[in-house]
Amino acid sequence: MAKTYHKPTFIERIRANYFSTWLDTTLTLGFGALVLWVLLGLFDWAFLNAVWSEAEREQCGHGSGGACWAVIDARWRLIFFGLYPFEEQWRSAIACIAMVVTGALSCVPWFWSARRLPVLWLVGFAIFYVLMRGGLFGLTPVSEQNWGGLSLTLFIFASVTLIGMPMAIVFALLRRSHLPMIAGTMGVIIDTIRSLPLLSIMFTFAIVLPFVLPGWAVGDKLYRVIVGYALFFACYQAEIIRGGMQALPAGQEEAAQALGMGYWHRIGYIVLPQAFRNALPPTINQLVITFKETSLVVIIGFFEVLASGNAAYGTAEWNFAHIEVYCFVALIYFTFVFALSRYGAYLERRLAVAAR
Amino acid sequence: MTTQTPAIRISDMDKYFGTFHVLRKINLEVARGERIVICGPSGSGKSTLIRCINRLEEYEGGSINVLGTELDDNIDNIDAIRRETGMVFQHFNLFPHMTILDNCTLAPMLVRKQSRAEAEEVAMQYLTRVKIPEQADKYPGQLSGGQQQRVAIARALCMKPEIMLFDEPTSALDPEMISEVLDVMVGLANDGMTMICVTHEMGFARQVADRVIFMSDGEIVEQAPPTEFFETPKHARTQAFLGQILGH
Repeated sequence: MAKTYHKPTFIERIRANYFSTWLDTTLTLGFGALVLWVLLGLFDWAFLNAVWSEAEREQCGHGSGGACWAVIDARWRLIFFGLYPFEEQWRSAIACIAMVVTGALSCVPWFWSARRLPVLWLVGFAIFYVLMRGGLFGLTPVSEQNWGGLSLTLFIFASVTLIGMPMAIVFALLRRSHLPMIAGTMGVIIDTIRSLPLLSIMFTFAIVLPFVLPGWAVGDKLYRVIVGYALFFACYQAEIIRGGMQALPAGQEEAAQALGMGYWHRIGYIVLPQAFRNALPPTINQLVITFKETSLVVIIGFFEVLASGNAAYGTAEWNFAHIEVYCFVALIYFTFVFALSRYGAYLERRLAVAAR
Repeated sequence: MTTQTPAIRISDMDKYFGTFHVLRKINLEVARGERIVICGPSGSGKSTLIRCINRLEEYEGGSINVLGTELDDNIDNIDAIRRETGMVFQHFNLFPHMTILDNCTLAPMLVRKQSRAEAEEVAMQYLTRVKIPEQADKYPGQLSGGQQQRVAIARALCMKPEIMLFDEPTSALDPEMISEVLDVMVGLANDGMTMICVTHEMGFARQVADRVIFMSDGEIVEQAPPTEFFETPKHARTQAFLGQILGH
């Protein structure tokens, strides 16, 4: 007797997967109830019993059992803009949006060309810098020391990746040079920097470097930290890219050589595009880590978004509301990191079309 | 470069992998338009020999001259020779991240500085010739092995090379796909292309080769026109080899 294939309905699948035995049913119901209980409790706390506006601050913590979102209502500008002068915070807001838009645009395949992408980022950074720094078009100058909040986090992240990524490519190429001296030296540099904690690198670049560098090369502390962080990023990313290169069959470069293509053509058209495709998951991983570790700049006195959050509840008036503030900051991080992950997943699907 | 110079002249060439002597005092002259088949047991150095001709492998002693250009350490000479020498690999080595058409147009555009329109026209011409113009917009991974190898041949031809090197082009193919690739190669041979093929397809050797070369242990043991080579092999090692591959 031949069996005919019968496509299971939704109900049938649920029954088969979760309720097929008494044990399954018990576990499903038990854990289902637990999850429901936690979610309902969370929902109660975050929405039903929450206090939403600053005006109702008095109700916070008086047995309402809900979240005190009033702290966000009162302090959101500090979280988003840090120590940036209050009247000028609209500039920081637009700068922030400019950075997000630039980042979003560079995810669009149309911009993926050697000419368009650099132009896009030059324009993006120029808008950001002019708005934040001021001093032009009648904008009051604001020194880098007073930048803060989300704009600062985004600025550090974007700068680090944009300086770090080309550096990583160069490092990876040097690392697999046929000349043992060059490959060896690069290996030692990468291994050394990777073995140092990021904090100590930031500290060195911020505090120690000015003693060594000539005056004209010192620049603001912020830019030194960014360069140090970019170097750190590049060393990790270089190894990721090198891994992607090693996954390429030797035949790929040989085929390009046999066609008479020179080194840079082989690297630019054959090796790197495929290496990046192979290295996409760890690259996204590295970007996520880099985004979150921007919070370390607080150690050398910058108020990025997490440090600004700390400041937001750090007054006598709001000192009980740290959970709410952290939830809010977590939501900000989540928004960016989740977008990044989803974009990574989109890229993988898109590139899978050309995969074997 | 006159037409009198041979396509390839290899004199007393030595090649080592570390301390292992892979090719020993190789002497070989290939005339323009000549079709040569190289066979021999695995490890005999036949692939290494043709990979030396376009400098995918360096050689340590003797000299190689391709189309009148000396193959030395001069990068310009190497590039010049590679431009004129097409190569087809055992594992096709198509660029998986590019469409079939882009695979064929990339090198002509970058190396020969052709315009995209020009390169695409030539590419379609050769893709038609290997009988897969309709696959131009697909990716290599979407094609069968036989189709991929035909694309690889078209890709090499798009550079308009003087010499074609084939490194076991049918060894990685399923049996039913071998003939479609050999057909293309026969067509190419009939057009007068200078060809050096490392292959075990003895039928192909009989049909098109001007000369069959048998290599063993890094040496050219015997070379002769196909009839003579297959009917009256002189050397004991050749006889043993032919007995093994034709005997079953």
